[in-house]
Amino acid sequence: MARAQLIGLAIGLVASAAAAQVQDRAQNRTVLGANEFLTAGAEQIRVGEYDEGIRLTNLGLREVASVGERSAALSNLCAAYAAKGNPDRAIDYCTQSIVLKESNWRAYSNRSYAFYLKGLYKKAHDDLEIAASINPEARQIAKIRGMINERSLQPSVIMEDHR
Amino acid sequence: MSATRRALVATLCLVAVCASAPAAARKSRPVATLDPVGTWNCVVYGHPAFGDERVLLNLVRDRATRVARLLDGEITAWVPLTHWDVEDATLTFTDSRSGRDYKADLTRTTLGGTWRTATLLGGWWCSPADFVAAPTIEQAKPETLMPPLLPSRTATPVYPIKAIRDAKQGRAVSCFFVDAEGYIVQPEIVELSDEIFRAPILNALARSRYEEWPDKRLLRPGCRSFIFRLDPLTGDASTSE
Repeated sequence: MARAQLIGLAIGLVASAAAAQVQDRAQNRTVLGANEFLTAGAEQIRVGEYDEGIRLTNLGLREVASVGERSAALSNLCAAYAAKGNPDRAIDYCTQSIVLKESNWRAYSNRSYAFYLKGLYKKAHDDLEIAASINPEARQIAKIRGMINERSLQPSVIMEDHR
Repeated sequence: MSATRRALVATLCLVAVCASAPAAARKSRPVATLDPVGTWNCVVYGHPAFGDERVLLNLVRDRATRVARLLDGEITAWVPLTHWDVEDATLTFTDSRSGRDYKADLTRTTLGGTWRTATLLGGWWCSPADFVAAPTIEQAKPETLMPPLLPSRTATPVYPIKAIRDAKQGRAVSCFFVDAEGYIVQPEIVELSDEIFRAPILNALARSRYEEWPDKRLLRPGCRSFIFRLDPLTGDASTSE
């Protein structure tokens, strides 16, 4: 169940990498662009075919022209590796994506999720705050925040009787 | 329309407005449903450092208020407080020795409310005592009036998972009666920082028990405060990297 939820989140954070960088922030979607490999790769990752998605995205990356497209594609690879349960590789791709484009909230959000998988809740929280500051309306951010809180906060109830 | 007629209409309108305003205000005023006159078994709580008090409170029809405390198992003499007053279904009186101003909402099913001084605040909750306060009360055995309320099972509320996800902490106070078999009855939430905590509290109270006592007619007042807290787990690997 938890695994399914995590994979669902990762898929939700896949951008259409071949994007023309026209973003609808409320929908968290990016309008598709011209690089067919990246488009197909993003779609494969979205439907849970991570290996195929990674292969296609890597092919697409060879022809990428813009920094924005490359950043989105690397963020997608990050999401795919996180969904495959390989957070180290995911973090590496997300970091490359962020270096290329600091305002890529999906890359921060994906990296936050990868940190979460590693149990690095403080770092996960910090990345999530950055993602939220860039796109406060993103629903996935609230979901990841809830997951981090579940794991990183210890609940207790203190009771006192008055009698 | 002549000037006289216009003046007459204006006057009538003014009178109508003046008459309807207090009527509207009266409509929105709360109506007292509880008669506070009588003797009450009360628990008075506040800052943990000062502990709780068990008192007998006596409100007389002529608005006199008296209180007797339970100290070391003995009922002290009745001490007069200020006269009680009711306005907008809110009962008020003051204990001038402790400086506590007491307030009770008379739309509730039982007597209880808050108290405050300049720097402190707390609450109080009462059940009706089935005897008439009289000077001879000083001779009465407290066990028959207020048998000790001893918890035998204290259930802890479940911290709602949604509250954890949303990082919500909170505070609540519930007051209730305990019947002779030790069951909690008529629980009321008198303070609540977030609705999310209401159901777990009521659930936990339903699973809690107190020790029984022989007098089946007697209901004892009790309150329980809850603090819902979230602390960072120390196992976060981020800090050790």
